[in-house]
Amino acid sequence: MHYKVTHTTRYTYYEAVSLCHNIARLIPRSTDKQVCRSAVLEIYPAPDILDEYEDFFGNKVTYFAIQHEHKSLTVTVSSEIVRTNPGTLEFSLYENTPWEAVKEQLYSLRPVDTDILQYIPETQMTQASPEILEYALRSFTPGRPLFEAARDLMQRIYENFEFEPGFTTVTTPLSLVMKERKGVCQDFAHLAIACIRSVGLAARYVSGYIETIPPEGTEKLTGVDASHAWFALYVPGSGWIDFDPTNNQLPADQYLTIGWGRDYSDIVPLKGVIVSSGPHRLSVSVDVRRVNNNAERPS
Amino acid sequence: MTSPTPAGSLFQHYFNSNYTYDELLGVDGNLRPHWESFFASFKGLGPAEIQNRNGDLTRLLKENGVTYNIYGDPAGFKRPWKLDPIPFLIGRQEWQTIESGLIQRAGLLDLILKDIYGPRRLIRAGLIPMELVYNHAGFLRQCAGIQLPGKHNLVLYAADIARGSDGKIWIVNDRTQAPSGSGYALENRMAMARILPELFNGFKVRRTAAWFEDLRNALEEIAPGQKPAPRIVILTPGPGNETYFEHSYLSSILGFTLVQGNDLIVKDNYVWIKTLGGLEKVDTILRRVDDVYCDPLELKEDSQLGVPGLLGAVRSGHVSIANPLGSSILENPGLMPFLQPIARYLLGTDLIMPTIASWWCGQEREMGYVLDNIRSLVIKRIYKDSYGSTSVDAASLTEKQLYQLKLQIKAHPSLYVGQEKIHFSSTPALVNDKIEPRHALFRSFLVSNGESYTAMAGGLTRSSSEPGNFVISNQRGGISKDTWIISPEPGRVLNVRKELPPAAAGNSSGGMLPSHTAENLFWVGRYTERVLGNARFLRTVIKFVAEGNRLLVEQDVQAEQGLLLKALTRYSYTYPGFFANGSQEKSADDPWPELHNILFDGKRTGGLHYNLSLFNQAVHAVRDHWSTDTWRVLREIEEEWALAAALENPGPGKTLEALDGLITSMVAFVGLNRESISREQGWIMLDTGRKIEQSLLLINMLRATLVHYYDKQSQYDLQEAVLSSSESLVNYRYKYKAPLQLSLVLDLMLLDDNNPRSLVYQLERLKNYLANLPKNQPGNHLSEHEKLIWEAYTLLKLSNKEQLSVFDPAISDPAVFDTLGRIPENADGRHGNRERRQGGMDAWHGNAVGSYGNLEEFLSKMYSLLLAIPDNISKTYFKHAQSQKQLFTHR
Repeated sequence: MHYKVTHTTRYTYYEAVSLCHNIARLIPRSTDKQVCRSAVLEIYPAPDILDEYEDFFGNKVTYFAIQHEHKSLTVTVSSEIVRTNPGTLEFSLYENTPWEAVKEQLYSLRPVDTDILQYIPETQMTQASPEILEYALRSFTPGRPLFEAARDLMQRIYENFEFEPGFTTVTTPLSLVMKERKGVCQDFAHLAIACIRSVGLAARYVSGYIETIPPEGTEKLTGVDASHAWFALYVPGSGWIDFDPTNNQLPADQYLTIGWGRDYSDIVPLKGVIVSSGPHRLSVSVDVRRVNNNAERPS
Repeated sequence: MTSPTPAGSLFQHYFNSNYTYDELLGVDGNLRPHWESFFASFKGLGPAEIQNRNGDLTRLLKENGVTYNIYGDPAGFKRPWKLDPIPFLIGRQEWQTIESGLIQRAGLLDLILKDIYGPRRLIRAGLIPMELVYNHAGFLRQCAGIQLPGKHNLVLYAADIARGSDGKIWIVNDRTQAPSGSGYALENRMAMARILPELFNGFKVRRTAAWFEDLRNALEEIAPGQKPAPRIVILTPGPGNETYFEHSYLSSILGFTLVQGNDLIVKDNYVWIKTLGGLEKVDTILRRVDDVYCDPLELKEDSQLGVPGLLGAVRSGHVSIANPLGSSILENPGLMPFLQPIARYLLGTDLIMPTIASWWCGQEREMGYVLDNIRSLVIKRIYKDSYGSTSVDAASLTEKQLYQLKLQIKAHPSLYVGQEKIHFSSTPALVNDKIEPRHALFRSFLVSNGESYTAMAGGLTRSSSEPGNFVISNQRGGISKDTWIISPEPGRVLNVRKELPPAAAGNSSGGMLPSHTAENLFWVGRYTERVLGNARFLRTVIKFVAEGNRLLVEQDVQAEQGLLLKALTRYSYTYPGFFANGSQEKSADDPWPELHNILFDGKRTGGLHYNLSLFNQAVHAVRDHWSTDTWRVLREIEEEWALAAALENPGPGKTLEALDGLITSMVAFVGLNRESISREQGWIMLDTGRKIEQSLLLINMLRATLVHYYDKQSQYDLQEAVLSSSESLVNYRYKYKAPLQLSLVLDLMLLDDNNPRSLVYQLERLKNYLANLPKNQPGNHLSEHEKLIWEAYTLLKLSNKEQLSVFDPAISDPAVFDTLGRIPENADGRHGNRERRQGGMDAWHGNAVGSYGNLEEFLSKMYSLLLAIPDNISKTYFKHAQSQKQLFTHR
């Protein structure tokens, strides 16, 4: 499946800003499930400085600075992504392995695989609590196969928590999400990750997009018109498996990945520092479109 | 326990405790030779002299402004530094082992640092458990791959060292983030060499000062592109930081500009310092700000101490930071048990100096050991929490606390380390004029010299405040000691002069005045004059009160009471003060409680004590600008005022004495600055602040005293008060040889350019200063603040003393005046409580029979013109006042 994504972020300032530094993590990665054919970042006003590099997790980072007065900032990324592995997931090998056994295997990996193990310790945004551990253990019951437990956790979050935009902010702690049972995709991903890490397994936070066109006669998927977030669980032998607790789905075709990290703070799509005393306004729009396969694909 | 020794009687209080190892004694139970020589000199001085010198030591450090800020304690701010006259002695042979052990360790830690932020093969090889790095808050993934020019990434290293009860030397802590203490060590040595030179007799004590040359070289070496004269700055969190004294001290001895985060800016991927004259490129930063606070763009988002984009500039190789961002990963007690195997793996050799026995709880067996033996261990977290202590002596915990701690360890085993509790040796300390044993911790400082490391021959020793206390921390009231590395060869004398700190390089900071510093100097100037103006006016008022002047106390003229007291309230903005409803008569009858409050209550906004605190804060914020002489004056000001404030009932005599002292010291402060602030722009900034404040205060005083007319005598007295508090009374008599009259008073105070107290005198200087400030825009046009001063100056020059003295009788009672508006001879202003609101705020002039409208209009216009100048200066030159803001895409 071939997609075009247009993702625009616009800041409007009430007072002119003379200097801003920004870091964008908006260029999608290529993974074993997708190829990012092209990605173009357009910034207005044109930045005076622009650097690109890969971060610690292999995500593509763009640093830019605007060093002259401007009253608004628009960042548009247009990318073309081809999903290469339309979602036939193979768990056969681990379908029946209890999660405790998987945990043992993780720790006995030699040589030490930091690329996986670094996703086990909790982070600021995925702090466990006795409540979270207890919530996790209801899915991670003794001897239960890993995949089944994770899928159950996803489903329970989907059923127990209400999707309510605006209830949380980037700094809302998980404890409040747990208490109020409300949040958005980012909170649900963090919660699931905190649960999985609390039992000693590896999970990471995935930032990306979800296709917006709803199939006829079915309910429209939540999380459209914005970037989306979900989590991935590490399963030895199978690799990283995506789960979307917001929609209770195993991400397949409609999910496009930008990048990942231990939590949101590792893969913030766009952040910046301005020197200004005035307020600002933010608007974001995301458009994910399917491209005619035959027209695009070379014969 | 001890046999009589040459210094035996000194130790009568010493050997009562049962310590297994004592610094004083050799294996034979006799005093070690170097201690024996030391105490021979010590005893030679005699107890009385020791006591004297000890006092001198404290005073010298205080006068030099050596302070240490204690967090969370208002009284702990600017706490004077404590120095024990008995140093910590280390023999040369032992030092050679320590030195080589430290050099080896610094090199090893450097390799580990480079590996952690590079290939991480130590983790892959299983030599460092990954959790020790990946779960450590100091592992900054954003810093991966960053490499300094030269061999080392770890430029600075400090280690806390202690001697155990078995006599062995142990390394207790590694300091790699932004090691502090080297400046204090040097200052300790300087103080010892000056106050107690006799003690050095018979020793060859190695110099500490030379190490700072090595430090400077190291910082120059790491500058990008091997520049010949790189620009180096010291980045400080600011005056509130515990070791701020040291930051400014290092700045002055090394000649590097002291900056705060908002003095710097990242532009074009380079770091620049914002100076009055514009942006100047920075090559190397000596960092005293913790790494996560250094860049709000990529690290701690809400940090106000850093520079947005700094990490990007580092990544581009355009600026070098020592120590590099991310180096706090090595301040990690969890690493200790793994250093020995790493040394074998990387260096092929054993550690020269042992690390204190530690058990990292991330391993099952070790956690078991720690939990089983917890009472005999010190438990440490692998990284520092933002607040609170990182190490706990488990033996000091209650059962409940111990249970909690065990739970925490079990919940996050990889974050905890159990460490053997060292029973420190004891070393002699002078406590209340007696020699007593204390535990001591010695901090040694190392700096890269390109190939290897150079250790300071000396260091900072701190001893515990209580006997038997093992937790030694400046935050908890420890006492410092000079540290002598000595050889037993007798007869060689320390050359005290050689201990002088290296001369500042000069060129690296030449003429650079960070805008932040400029602003502080500007405020030092303003507060100086504010304190002086208020002190002089108060002195005048108190003299009037004390002399029973009718303006204040005459009983039969109730309505006129307290005019001067009210003028004081208005002048100093200490409302309600002598305007207080109901209490008006009372406070005029007995003005002392209110006067005492204005003088000595530090919480009284606008009061003298309050202004003095603001002055002190501003002074401390730019402490590297003051000479030693200036510090002495500043100390005197603070101490003498505190003494006066502490008096139960000072009375006019003592109060006037205190005010005289304060005024003299403040004048001395101004005079000393003229001589000692070398940086031209710094002086301009300070004096600009002074001139603005002087002008505003003068206008304020004239408005509070001369604009309204009550009766002849009051007018005369108020005019006299103006002249006397401006110290212009003699000048007036000399110049006019006439009784006081308004037009002449105005002539002298506003228009006489020979009178250094006059407004025109201030404005002329202000005009010159403002013209000399750097232009931010090319061309010949005037800047905003220049336009304002020209307008004010012209207004003043075009004014006319006769015009300003035209009297407007109060309209509501025309009968009092003759048809020409002149004041009738018999008008004495007794007009009851008629309200005459003029300009809204003058209800208190209820008793005035008229006013000088032209004068009021002129002063008011002048005031608003001058008041706009600091606003404009601030906008143009102190741009850092703008705050940084975070932008986030919310989901």
